[in-house]
Amino acid sequence: MRSQTVTLVMLAGAGAAAFGLARIDPSQNEEDVLVYPNAEACIAGRIRTDADCREEYLTARASYPGAAPLYATMIDCEAHHGASHCLPGDGIVLSATGRFVPRMAGYVIGRRADQGLTPQPIFDHAPKSASAVSAGYSGGAGYCTGWGGRITTSSGGASSTARVASSAVRQVAYGGFGSTGRSFSSHGFSSHGSGG
Amino acid sequence: MRRVAIGERPDWRDTARRHGFTFHTLDGAAYWSESHAYAFTLAEIENDLEGPSAEIHALCLAFVGDAVEDERILASLDIPLHARDGIRASWKRGDPSLYGRLDFSYGGASAGPAKLLEYNADTPTALYESGVFQWLWLEEGLRTGMLPEAADQFNSLHEKLVARFRALRGDGALAFTAYADAPEDRGTVAYLEDCARQAGLATCFLDLADIGRDEDGRFVDRVHAPIPQLFKLYPWEWAFTDAFGEGLGATTTRFLEPPWKAILSNKGLLAHLHAREPGHPNLLPAFFEDDPRKASLGTSFVKKPLVSREGANILMVRDGAVLAQDHGPYGGGRHIRQALAELPDFEGRRPVIGSWIVGDEAAGLCIRESAVPITGNAALFVPHFIEPA
Repeated sequence: MRSQTVTLVMLAGAGAAAFGLARIDPSQNEEDVLVYPNAEACIAGRIRTDADCREEYLTARASYPGAAPLYATMIDCEAHHGASHCLPGDGIVLSATGRFVPRMAGYVIGRRADQGLTPQPIFDHAPKSASAVSAGYSGGAGYCTGWGGRITTSSGGASSTARVASSAVRQVAYGGFGSTGRSFSSHGFSSHGSGG
Repeated sequence: MRRVAIGERPDWRDTARRHGFTFHTLDGAAYWSESHAYAFTLAEIENDLEGPSAEIHALCLAFVGDAVEDERILASLDIPLHARDGIRASWKRGDPSLYGRLDFSYGGASAGPAKLLEYNADTPTALYESGVFQWLWLEEGLRTGMLPEAADQFNSLHEKLVARFRALRGDGALAFTAYADAPEDRGTVAYLEDCARQAGLATCFLDLADIGRDEDGRFVDRVHAPIPQLFKLYPWEWAFTDAFGEGLGATTTRFLEPPWKAILSNKGLLAHLHAREPGHPNLLPAFFEDDPRKASLGTSFVKKPLVSREGANILMVRDGAVLAQDHGPYGGGRHIRQALAELPDFEGRRPVIGSWIVGDEAAGLCIRESAVPITGNAALFVPHFIEPA
């Protein structure tokens, strides 16, 4: 009931996994952000109102215990965030007891309020920084968000502006699909997967 | 309809490997089986399967139109409250569907009309082997004389899928997702991805775990790029229960199958179709288990959970005695009771007819054959052909 020849490339030949979708990397979507060490620096910067500065700082500060990355050892933590930039986890939240977390170096907000960026804590990002800084190479300061988004400010000062990849400051959750099907795995979930 | 000994091609495994059909054997057990085949007359195909399939699919669409307007129907299908707006919206927008598979009990023209067992409208597999490998078997059988000259096959799946994708172009990109580590699912999705590419779409595959949700509630990939169109080989009822299930109503992502398919890929459909079309030759009497009218089925019936896969949790009773029972993981929730239509017996083998729908058209057949009354995932895929007149 048909005449057409079947031609396939995905299953035969190069294999299903060999094809990627070429497209523009959306990490090129950038936005302007402000980085401050604290509310006072924000107020001094005179971009936000005093009240906004205080409120946004408090929002970031409140999320710090949950946002800070956890490390098994002080050495691991300092390798990522720099010498003397880390502390024992139980100092900020009980659930981090026995782990090590970076100090909150400051916080990041959108350049404009209408960017709708949630204020969030940032951490010094300083792998091998000791040598780089001492050699005078670092033109701007390097920070990271709790999930590893990178922020490099335009000047060395702690209060600064930056243009960053959106993906560095906007968090995405993964793993929200699939768990219901996996929950059937103990009942013989097989190579047949979820089809029927 | 006959079951015919054909004899398998000595080199079919090589042929399968060449074509990327890697899941012909699953978990150590055979799945593709070509020692025999089922032969149909053209009249059996056209009058008993193709025609009724298109007609039942049309009845199903009419039912969806009513169901989205009726909370009682959605509740009867155990569709969670938080999922209903998304389902309703997808129907009202006219989100297109891609494919589905109606499963029938049918034993040939002399055995009476095909009886609908269920509609796998959301995540049917067996697609590649139906559309491609079965067709290659026919072509080779004709070439080598293994099959009678002028034998044909009810199979326009491949070109209908490509044509459907062509009509669904959207912005030209379509992502596909499934469990990357389930070979049958991965193979099915790779085949569909192939069809989409032939239709000119740019495609990519994402493991289910690679789908993210950003702060704006958009579904995104690993580089945070929004996913405008997503084919998912993952049942809606599972997605509704997952952590991202709450946000499905608000997302701008368009899905294949669309959320409204959750209304059809549900055994409760069978009770509703029977109520709407009592006496339809292809529909078995069926009732929800909490409906006293179920007593009219007497002592021979099949009890099925609203959602289950691969024949799981089905109880089959004949003359008051349990004929077969599957103890699977889907025992919770509501059930239906359907009149018993045992699969026909061909030399101890019991075939179930899968009748493919692509878009809104009947598009071909697949036959899965078991030694037991309930077709489970140990069933064999057996090819078919249409005998020359």
